[in-house]
Amino acid sequence: MSMATATAEFRAAGTDLSERRRSGVSRGPLVDIAARPELTDIEWGAGGAARIGAFVTIAALASNERIAAAYPGLAASALGLATPQVRHLATLGGNLAQRSRCWYFRNPHIDCLKKSGADCPARDGNHLYGVAFDLGPCVAPHPSTMAAALLAYDARVATDQRSALTIGELLGDGSDGSADHALRPGEMIRSIALPPPQQSERALYKRAISRTHAEWPLAEVCARAVVKDGAFQFIRLAAGGIAPRPLRLAASEAALQGKPADAATIAEAAKLATSGAKPLPMTGYKLDLLSGLVKDLVERLAS
Amino acid sequence: MSTMTINGRAAPLPDDPDALLIDVVRGDLDLTGSKLVCGAGVCGACTVLVDGAPVVSCLMPASAAANKAVTTVEGIGGGALHPMQKAFMAYDALQCGFCTPGFVVEAAAFCDRWRAAKGTATPSREEIAAALSGHLCRCGAYDGIFNAVAAACAGQFDGRDIQPPRVEARDKVTGAAKYTVDIRHDGQLEGVILRSPVAHGRIDGLDLSPALALPGVSAAVTLLGDDRMVRFVGDPIAAVAARDRKTALAAIAAIKFTIEKMPSVIGLDAARKEDAPVVFDKASRKRAGNVSEGAGGPAPWKGNLRGPSAAFSTRAKKARGWVGDARQARDPLLVEGTFRTATQQHSCLEPHAAVARFDGDRLTVHVSTQAVFHLKELIVKRYKLGHDKVRVIANHVGGGFGSKSSFGMETVVAIELARAAKAPVRVVYDRHEELSVAGYRPAAEMQIALLPSPEGALKAISFTAYADTGAATNSILAGLARLIYPAEAKELSDFDVISNLPPGAPFRGPGGPPMAFALEQAIDEAAIRMKVDPIGLRKRWDPNPNRQRLYDWALGLDVWRNRNAGAQSGRYRRGVGVATGYWLYIWQPGSKIEVAVKNGRLIASTSTQDIGQGSRTVIANTVAQEFGLEPHEVEVRIGDSDLPEGPGAGGSRTTASVIPPTLLAVQKLKDAIRENVKRQPAPGSNAPWRELLAASPDLSASGVRPEDSKPTLPGIRSPMRDAGFIGIIFGWMMRRFSNLAIGAGVPSSVQVVEVEVDTWLGHVRVVSVHTGIAVGKIAAPALARSQAAGSVIQGIGYALYEARETDPARGDILSGGMEDYRIPGIADTPEIDVHFDEGGFDHVMGGSVGIGEVATVPTSPAIANAIYNAIGVRPMEAPIRPDRLIAALKGRDAA
Repeated sequence: MSMATATAEFRAAGTDLSERRRSGVSRGPLVDIAARPELTDIEWGAGGAARIGAFVTIAALASNERIAAAYPGLAASALGLATPQVRHLATLGGNLAQRSRCWYFRNPHIDCLKKSGADCPARDGNHLYGVAFDLGPCVAPHPSTMAAALLAYDARVATDQRSALTIGELLGDGSDGSADHALRPGEMIRSIALPPPQQSERALYKRAISRTHAEWPLAEVCARAVVKDGAFQFIRLAAGGIAPRPLRLAASEAALQGKPADAATIAEAAKLATSGAKPLPMTGYKLDLLSGLVKDLVERLAS
Repeated sequence: MSTMTINGRAAPLPDDPDALLIDVVRGDLDLTGSKLVCGAGVCGACTVLVDGAPVVSCLMPASAAANKAVTTVEGIGGGALHPMQKAFMAYDALQCGFCTPGFVVEAAAFCDRWRAAKGTATPSREEIAAALSGHLCRCGAYDGIFNAVAAACAGQFDGRDIQPPRVEARDKVTGAAKYTVDIRHDGQLEGVILRSPVAHGRIDGLDLSPALALPGVSAAVTLLGDDRMVRFVGDPIAAVAARDRKTALAAIAAIKFTIEKMPSVIGLDAARKEDAPVVFDKASRKRAGNVSEGAGGPAPWKGNLRGPSAAFSTRAKKARGWVGDARQARDPLLVEGTFRTATQQHSCLEPHAAVARFDGDRLTVHVSTQAVFHLKELIVKRYKLGHDKVRVIANHVGGGFGSKSSFGMETVVAIELARAAKAPVRVVYDRHEELSVAGYRPAAEMQIALLPSPEGALKAISFTAYADTGAATNSILAGLARLIYPAEAKELSDFDVISNLPPGAPFRGPGGPPMAFALEQAIDEAAIRMKVDPIGLRKRWDPNPNRQRLYDWALGLDVWRNRNAGAQSGRYRRGVGVATGYWLYIWQPGSKIEVAVKNGRLIASTSTQDIGQGSRTVIANTVAQEFGLEPHEVEVRIGDSDLPEGPGAGGSRTTASVIPPTLLAVQKLKDAIRENVKRQPAPGSNAPWRELLAASPDLSASGVRPEDSKPTLPGIRSPMRDAGFIGIIFGWMMRRFSNLAIGAGVPSSVQVVEVEVDTWLGHVRVVSVHTGIAVGKIAAPALARSQAAGSVIQGIGYALYEARETDPARGDILSGGMEDYRIPGIADTPEIDVHFDEGGFDHVMGGSVGIGEVATVPTSPAIANAIYNAIGVRPMEAPIRPDRLIAALKGRDAA
C-alpha cells in the first residue's frame, strides 16, 4: 500500500463522496476501487447462509428474490433507502462506509469533529435530526440503513485485513466523534456474511419520515421474529437514525423473548425501546417514533 | 483515454477523477436537457440511463461510464417521441419544465420495463410514486404526471401524435427548451461569488490581486457597499470570472481580506430582545430588501423592529378594548392563540442565473427572471445605458414563485464581470446559494384574538404579526386580514423583525399563507365553540359574492357532509377541514401586445415571460379563439425585452394584463385584414379567418391594457375602496410606485381537505383536496388545473414539511441542500379535485384574472383544521412535522 492509498478516500460508486467532492468537504486524494467479480456476487453456503460481495448494489439486494425470501428485513431495508437512481449505483460496502449526513459536517465552511475541528457545533446548535442516544462527542446519527439491518441479522464483515467483524466492530461504539467507522486507513470492505435465517422467521423494516419516500430516517427499525405457539421464540430488533451507531434494542428484545405475542407484551416492549436513551434538547421526539416503530413492526410480525 | 457511448455515439471521457457524468453531458457534449439541480442525488433532474437503468448523473463519476451506453433525454424515443413524452404533453404533466427531462427519462424507462413485464396493464398510483420517488418537481405537476405515466403504460400513446394544451410542451419533454443555465456563448466565462462567512462584520483590506494572478482568471470585482459591511452569512463580498467553475472557486479562495466581526443576532426571538445588536443603523436602512410585491409605506423603526404597520386597522382601540374585556370576563367565545409558521424557501429548480454579453456598447443578458421588461429598465437605470442598448432574454424560466422579480445579485455580477473581463460571463447559483441567499417567505409569529358577538356576528379581530424578514422589511400579514371577514373593529399590526439572516423576498401571495394559517384556524375554532358548521360560519361572516358561491359548492361535497364529528381513538385518525383564501386582482398598466399576420401566420408578441404558469398558452389560446383557429397555429413571442412592453410575472397579474390588450389588438388586426383582403371567404366557410389570413398581406396591430369597465354585478367592488381611505391611498401608491393596478373583485379559493394522521409515527397523509377557485373565466383550462393542483402541493409542503433551518448563533443556513430542505414528492400528492367557478369578473375584458397566488393561500390552514378534526389538538406551528405532531398529541411543547 502506498502512502497515498493510506490517506486516500476510497470511491466505490461515489454516491456519497461525489457530493462532498463537489462541495469541497473532501479535498484529499481519491482511490477508485474497482469491482472485482467475486465482490459483485451473492454466494449461498451451507444451510442457506448468504455471503454478499461489497460491490453488490443496493438495488440488486432489494430485487434479489432469494435474499427477499431468506432475509426479508435486509431486502426491505435496501428498498427503503435513498431513491431508485441512487440504489442502482450505490454498493453495500459503500453504504456501510459512508460518511455522516450531518448538515454541519456537509457544510464546507464549518468545522466539526469529523473535519479535525475541536468540538461538535450541532450539540449547542441546531440538532433537530441528531441522536436521541447521546453516546459520544458527535451528535449525528449513523447514516447507514443497511448497517442497522445487518446488525439485526448478526452479520459479519470481511475486509482485506480482517475476516469477521461484527457491525459493532466495524462501526465502533460512537466514542470517536471524528469517524463514521472503525476501518483502518486503507482497509477495504470485501464481503458481508449472514448466518442462515431462523426456521420460519419473518422480518420487517420501517423508517419514520415526514414525507412518504426518499428521506433520511428520523428513526428506523429492522425487526425479525419467530412466533410459535403464540409466543416470541426468537426476536431481533435493530434501530438506526437515533445514535452514532445502529443499536440493538436489547431491553425490548428481552421483554419479548419467550413471552406471549399479545398486545400487552408488545406495548411493554415498545416502551422499553427507549431504555438507555439520552435525548438532546431537540430530539426527544425520536424516542416516541422509536417506540411507535417497534410497536408497529412487532405487532405486524405477531399477527 | 476511455470512452462511453451516448445516445448511440462514442464520446471521450475526461481524465479528471472529479469529473462527474453530468459535467460531461452538459458541459463537454452540450446536451443540456439533463439539468443539474441539487447535486446530491435527491431531485433526479440529472437522471440519465446507463446501460438502460436510470441513475443520477450528478453523483456518478464520469470514469464509471467508461464502455457503457448512456442515454439522455435527447436520446429517449430514438428520434421519435416516446409514448411517455406524448403522455406528459397530453396530460400537461409539467409547468416550468425544468424537472421534466429527468422525469421523462425515468418514466420512459419505467414504462418500457412495465410493458415488457405487464403488457398494457395500468400501474397503480403507489407503483408510479415508488418508481418516481427519486424526482422532485417544485411546480407540483405530480397530478398530471400520475395520469401521464398510467396512460402511457396502458398503451394509450403508442400511436398518435398529439397537440399539447401547453404550447411549448414539446420543447420541454424533449429537453430542447433552453433555460438561462443552458446558454453558452463562445469564450464564455464562469462567475462565482465570494460570500461572507460571518453573520455580521466589516470587511477590511479586500485584495483581489491574488485571484487575478491565477491562470485562467479574467476579472474580479468588489461587491461591498461603501460601508464595507456584511450583514448575513452569504452576503456578497466580491466575484471573479474564470475559464471554468473550478478555477473561479480557486480564485475566490485566494482573495485576501480580514473581517472585523461584530455581534450578530439571528431570528425572531433573539432580534426582539432589548439588548440585541442592531442590524441596520439609521443611515443604512435603505439597504434592506423588500419582501412584498409592491413598494412599502412608512413605518416606525426602532432597533431591529420595524412597525407597527397598522394602517389597515379599523377602530383599533375598540377592538383592543373589546378583546380585553372578553378576556377578563372569560368569554368562552373569545378565540385566542399564537400561531407560528416557518421560513419557506422558493426552491426554484432552475437556480438564479444570468449570462451577460457586451457587443460594443450593446448589452444582452439572459436571465432567469420573472420580469424581462422591468429588469431591462432597471439595468438601463443602474448602468446609465440607452434603452435601445440593453436586451434581457428569458425564453424559458425554471420556476420563480416570486424570487426572481427583482434585480438580483446574479445579474449584477454577470454584467459587472462581463464588462471587466470583456467576455461573456455566466453566473449560476449553486443549490446552497439558492436555498440560502435567493429569498424566502419569512417565518412568522402571529398573535390572534377573534371575538364573536353573543348574537353570532363577528365583533372584533386583533391580529399582531412578527415576520422574520432577515435583512429586509415590508411584510404585510396581519394587514391582509382587513380584506376578508368584515367586523365592527379590527386591530391589525405588522412588524418586521430584522436580523442577521439573508433578506426575504416576495413568495407566492406574500403574507397570505401565514395570515390564513392563523386566521382560518381561529375561524375554525370559533365555529367549534359556537357549535356551527365551519363553512356555514364563513358563509355568515364573509359576504364576498365570489366566495359565497364557493361556500355553497363546498357545503355540497360528500367529503364535507360525511366528515367525522366525534372524538376518535386508535392509531390512524381521519379528519376533514376547510379554509378560505383570497388574493388581490392585480394588473399591470401599460401592458402592450402586438398581434401580426405574416406570410399568413399569426404572431403575438409581448415582453412577458413564461415561468411555468402558462402565459404563452394564455396568449395563444386567446388569439386562436378569436380567429377560430387552434392554439398551435398562433406563434407567441415572449421572453425578450425588445418586444412591446409586457407584464412581469408576479402578483398573479399576467393573465389579466395580457388578455385585454390581446383582444383589442385582435380586433384592430381583424379590421385591417378585412380592409386589405381582396377576396372574401367562401359563403358558409367554417374557417373564414383561416382563408382571410392566408390571403392577407403582412399586417400588425397593437393593443394596450385598457382600464376595466365599471363592475355591475352585486357585491363586486374594489377591495381597496372597501378598506376605506387607507385602501384608496394604498391602491394609489401601488399604481404610482409599483405600476400595479388593483382591480375590482376578489380572486378567491375555498379548499376542503381530508387527512389521515398516524398517531404513532406523527405522520400526516393528505388523502384528498377539493379546491374551489373563483378567478373568472379560465383562459387555458388544462394549465389552470395544473396551477391549481401545483398550488395545493406547495401548500402541503408549507403545512407539513418545509422549514429553513439555521444555526442559532452563527447564522449559517443549515438546510442548504434538498435533502434537508424538504419539498413534497409525488407520493405526497393527494387526489386533487379542482372546481372552477367562472363568474365574478365580467368587468375585465375577457373575464379572466390570475390564479397563481390565491390557489395556495388556504391549503395550510385547511390541512391544520383537518388535523384538528382528526385528533382534537390544534396544530399551532407549521410545518406540522412528526416532532410537532407527537408533541401536540402528548400535550407538551415541541422541541
